[in-house]
Amino acid sequence: MTVIAIPLIPLIASLVAVLSRRLAVTRTVTTAAGLLTLILSVWVASVVNEKGTMLVFPNWIAVDGLSSLILVLQGFLSLTAALFSWGYMKRVTRSRPRERWYYVNLNLFIASLFMVPIFLQPALTWVAVELTTILSVFLVSFENTPQALEAAWKYTVITIMGATVAVFGIFLLIWGVTQQHVDVDTWATVASASPHMSVSLLKLAFVFIFIGFGTKVGIVPMHTWLPDAHSQAPSAVCALLSGIEVSTILYVIMRLWPAFLVIPGGFAERWALIFGLISVATSAFLMIQVKDYKRLFAFSTVEQMGILLVALGLGAGSNYALLCQLMTHALTKSLTFYSAGAVLLVTSTLNIANVRGLIRISPIAGTSLLFSGLAIGGAPPFALFLSELSIFKASLTASRIFVLVLLLAFLTLAFIAILRHLNHMVFGKPTHARVKLPRTVTASLILSWIPVLVLGVYFPGSIHHWLTLATVALRR
Amino acid sequence: MMQQVLSSMNSLVGALFLLSAVVMMTTRQTQNVLRLFVVQSVLLAASAFILIWVRHSAELIVVVLITITFKTVIIPLVLNRSLGREVRRRRELEFVVNTPVSLLIALGITALSYFFVEPLVGTSGTAVSENLAMGLDVLLIGVYTLTVRREAMPQILALMMIDNGAFYTGIAITRASALIELAAGLEGIMVIVVVVLLTRALVQQVGTTETGALTTLKEGESK
Repeated sequence: MTVIAIPLIPLIASLVAVLSRRLAVTRTVTTAAGLLTLILSVWVASVVNEKGTMLVFPNWIAVDGLSSLILVLQGFLSLTAALFSWGYMKRVTRSRPRERWYYVNLNLFIASLFMVPIFLQPALTWVAVELTTILSVFLVSFENTPQALEAAWKYTVITIMGATVAVFGIFLLIWGVTQQHVDVDTWATVASASPHMSVSLLKLAFVFIFIGFGTKVGIVPMHTWLPDAHSQAPSAVCALLSGIEVSTILYVIMRLWPAFLVIPGGFAERWALIFGLISVATSAFLMIQVKDYKRLFAFSTVEQMGILLVALGLGAGSNYALLCQLMTHALTKSLTFYSAGAVLLVTSTLNIANVRGLIRISPIAGTSLLFSGLAIGGAPPFALFLSELSIFKASLTASRIFVLVLLLAFLTLAFIAILRHLNHMVFGKPTHARVKLPRTVTASLILSWIPVLVLGVYFPGSIHHWLTLATVALRR
Repeated sequence: MMQQVLSSMNSLVGALFLLSAVVMMTTRQTQNVLRLFVVQSVLLAASAFILIWVRHSAELIVVVLITITFKTVIIPLVLNRSLGREVRRRRELEFVVNTPVSLLIALGITALSYFFVEPLVGTSGTAVSENLAMGLDVLLIGVYTLTVRREAMPQILALMMIDNGAFYTGIAITRASALIELAAGLEGIMVIVVVVLLTRALVQQVGTTETGALTTLKEGESK
């Protein structure tokens, strides 16, 4: 029942936000809900780490290694996002009803995210994926500016179209299961029935699911909505969207991966490799010319999703590296958006050219932005460095030298682009007066920095075991 | 005999379903696109009704009821009530792609759908093979329509057309699950409410429902 309580907690927090007249209560309850969901997710993960799986309702709801990984990351980010929102929204939002409306939406969105990894049936998971879009639209459009509304419109129309295209692929897979006279459609039955399905059916289902969900993951060329939506929303929402929402949708593709592995000729792997490399390349070039620092990090999300796809396409040898990268990206990307949000608080501009001497305007925001930029670029000694290194090693082991060379070239380009922009912003003569950050924003930054720093130098055995357990879901 | 009649009715409904998609793609007046969407949804419900006997699946009555209630009553009502007469009476004077070219593309999409579906339906019945191809066809025409329309409401209805296409196939090839059908139906209404609220905000803040003109967010621009 603990598993069901996880999405229910933010739902209750949302209800409190609707009913409570005092914003202090709403802020406290949202943060408490984040903390509670994190504690419960970690508890579920520890049980899964011990027993392998946690069954709630057979054929309906259960958690295994992979879904517990997503749950814990969602829990951690919901806590840091609540904490960051506390000080950030208090300072930027003048209207109390609008701030309350923000917390209602934030909690609903978090609840919908928690629903995705707990369902065992692809069709129900699709319903949850659709909910993540519907319940985050008003967070993207929250600023109510023409730009925010434009971003929200593109986000809604393109990602809902993608999800509806994906459901066609899911119907095809369920049809394939039905033809084997199996009455239940779960991830497991789809995988076990797939060798008996026709190759044409599997290929068509794969293309629709890959393009459909890939649209919401932000794979190039279906990524056009992502830099807009992930840069226009309030920073805590950007952290959730870029840090965990896209990975949660990629989780759905990963869940169906064992079924697609039976397609002869490495069909699925080739698609993942090609689209992954195109995403990394396109985003690296676009990152050079951006003028808006939140957009810079949004393109970095497209790049990171590309890396994850490449890891998926490299085969079973890179599954561990893939999940490690998914985890470290979620932790690091949320940190970069919190840092970007802190910079926005002290400068009130998103334009890179208009910010200089950040380190003197706000030492905390400046330092955090610079080092989080280095961390998301893959520099040592931060967590992402180790996981990217594992992917490089996996491509060498799989004898994909060409993939490795391209990946190295594009990642270097992206790293230079990030560093160039951040160097301009952090150093030089200050363009703004010195401003102090709200305490909860600083607390959120410190909390987010802990795993990014710790996992870069020390990787506990229990996390190694947990990730190894999670790779089981990706194998046949 | 009965099966033959049902099969013919299924083919007729399928043909009309496809026709409604093509006409929706080329219709300029927003209010007429909405009327065509209602007709298309009635045809979706009719298909589910026929499949009750073809597939001996009484559970499909849930699909009939949900489609009729949500797509032919609630969604048009929400759109009509919440968007002003001005929005509903708008005409798209210029299409991104002109009508003859769009019709040719729709023809190509139809050929492509049959090409993709043909290897899948070897031993399956006629109803399955026909509905699979028709659903895929309408879904792809919906995606194309969404890409080329520039007005908010026709784009919303193109989204719903994609949904109709996917579910036209879904009800023909999978077992109906009342819970999932209900969830999907409710989600359809939520999508409509969300996009309607967004459209109203666009009218207030940007002063237009011409979503094709929303191009301020691009590289080289920032707040």
